[in-house]
Amino acid sequence: MPQTEKAQTENSSRDQILQWIRAGLRAAVKVEEPAAVSDRLIFEPVNNPIERFQQECVANLMECARTADSAASARQLAEALQPLPEGEIFVQDDPSLRQLVELAELGRTIRWSTQGAPAEASQATVTLAEALIAQTGSILVTASCGGRGASVIAPCHIVYAKIAQLVPDLTTALSRASQGQTFDHDSFACVISGSSRTADIEKILVQGAHGPRRLVVILQTGT
Amino acid sequence: MSTAAQRFLQDAAVKSADLMHREIIQRGMDSYDAAHLKGRARIKDWEAARQKCQEIKREAINHLDRYLLQFEEKVVARGGHVFWAANSEEACAYIKNLATRRNVRTVVKSKSMVTEEIHLGPALEKAGIKVWETDFGEFIVQLREEGPYHIVTPAMHLLRGQIATLFQEKLGQKIESDDPAYLMAVARRVLRQAFFSAEMGISGANFLVADAGVIAISTNEGNGRLCTSIPRIHVVVTGIEKVIPRLDDLAVLWPVLATSGTGQGITTYGTLIGGPRRPGEADGPEEFHVVLVDNGRSQLLADAEQREVLHCIRCGACLNICPVFRHVGGHTYGTTYPGPIGSVLTPHLNGIMEFKHLSYASSLCGACSSVCPVKIDLHHHLLQNRRNATEAGATKSSERLMFRAWRHAMLHPRIYALGGWLMRNSLRMVYGLGLVGSILDPMRVWNRYRAPVPLPSESFRARWRKDRAAN
Repeated sequence: MPQTEKAQTENSSRDQILQWIRAGLRAAVKVEEPAAVSDRLIFEPVNNPIERFQQECVANLMECARTADSAASARQLAEALQPLPEGEIFVQDDPSLRQLVELAELGRTIRWSTQGAPAEASQATVTLAEALIAQTGSILVTASCGGRGASVIAPCHIVYAKIAQLVPDLTTALSRASQGQTFDHDSFACVISGSSRTADIEKILVQGAHGPRRLVVILQTGT
Repeated sequence: MSTAAQRFLQDAAVKSADLMHREIIQRGMDSYDAAHLKGRARIKDWEAARQKCQEIKREAINHLDRYLLQFEEKVVARGGHVFWAANSEEACAYIKNLATRRNVRTVVKSKSMVTEEIHLGPALEKAGIKVWETDFGEFIVQLREEGPYHIVTPAMHLLRGQIATLFQEKLGQKIESDDPAYLMAVARRVLRQAFFSAEMGISGANFLVADAGVIAISTNEGNGRLCTSIPRIHVVVTGIEKVIPRLDDLAVLWPVLATSGTGQGITTYGTLIGGPRRPGEADGPEEFHVVLVDNGRSQLLADAEQREVLHCIRCGACLNICPVFRHVGGHTYGTTYPGPIGSVLTPHLNGIMEFKHLSYASSLCGACSSVCPVKIDLHHHLLQNRRNATEAGATKSSERLMFRAWRHAMLHPRIYALGGWLMRNSLRMVYGLGLVGSILDPMRVWNRYRAPVPLPSESFRARWRKDRAAN
């Protein structure tokens, strides 16, 4: 159905609501202008992004392994996957990850993101990230990083990132996403800060709710 | 007295005398308090952060039409649908019709207070559609067939043992432990089947980002992620007031929401979705619908004093700190939104006459206003609602008479003094006869549940005169 037709058939209250909003906004509201906060520093500036990122990873119950080169990253990947039960691994189809998986000699069935969504029974997913955020110990992924399910379906999510992807804070990460017009080419993005969790019973923290129990970042400093 | 008010008083009396309930809530709130304070300490200038959030929301609300249209344009351009619902009926009908047209038999839902507000779950169930609440706390209260106790932690009034028994009864499987991790694993297994069989996922939205044209959802468990990734249709249900101008605004709003909600530095998943799955993407829903619910919100815009109530980001901080909430609990309010924000908002959404009593479910201590991350002046709004109800003629004639007598006494010192003398002496007599808390006790409302306040031997005025003479 074309959009114009939808606007007429499905949005019968649209104009009415807009009219109510505009009428409401015309009502005089006395606003006391507070002193501008623009010059006040809300967050402590991040001086040492790598150190801060690693600290926040610990606080977020994530694993972060620094590696020197791709051979070391491949070893790290194999090590992270080693304790997992047998089963399929889902990997974002990207040349750098193909190379990494080859180097790691995993001996497991691989399902590439170009073959579709990860299976429910996947043991782990391996993806890239768009950015790492030091301030909050977060990774920023988009639909380009293997899709939406890649970071949430399997019990273990492994992220392969380069040090150059590390940004100091959320503001930088979000401004870049805005300027880069992320949502013109990706339907989805997510700032992930740790493994899935809940504290819904007696406020007791349980790691591994509906999403991954483990979030592993392999942070490569060299090439 | 209206029925909602009677129910409130009855339930409040029962709950505040329930020592087990009190202990559970106290323990829950103690752990929240500790986390919240620690979280606030991580932000260099908490007051500046609150002010920034207030400014962001004020800008958004003061240009609500413009930002909503900007959001809509972006979403529609990417093949998403935006439906504007004037009230609950329109919102539910749109979603129900969509579900029926697409042969939806199973829906997975992530947490959304707006869907509670419009009673979406029951509306879909009535149409023969199975609805799974997938947030762990919501899943528990759904099995108990009750509403959420709290807007952030829906099952905080229950102990693990009660949940284990509930699962044993309702899930048809043997429950071997009441360990929270074990119970979560049971729920995960049950809900995984739901996620992979559902044709429709329904989520709320914490924010609608106008410039990027995306919805933002904050979740910790990952259920919100699964609801919006696996089913072939994704429906977002949210209030029109959730819009914010810019994507960058989340750099402050996300940490502040997380800190106020749970004490975390940031919520585990800050998800941004701008439309249906695009060509070349590995997965994601083929259809994306955003239902913008008005349901009385646009009327609140016209209220010069209370427009800022629309700034609320539903963090639950005012519930957690409220001494009334801590004693009577969430269900006693009998409303979708409990606690101070609910007491302010409900009369606007559901009628001042039926819910005017909520304005009095407050000691006006102002703790709610002091913690609100968007600086809503909650306790003054409660006071304004009291005034509005009085002006609308909601007070009983006996109450009006009492206040007239009080006013007269306040303006005539001799009458005031006489009243004080009469009260002191009659109370002394009543107490002397052992009638404390009885039907003859004028202080019965207080003395029924409490030890009487000791009576002074003389009036304040007499003491004042004596002290002045002595110095």
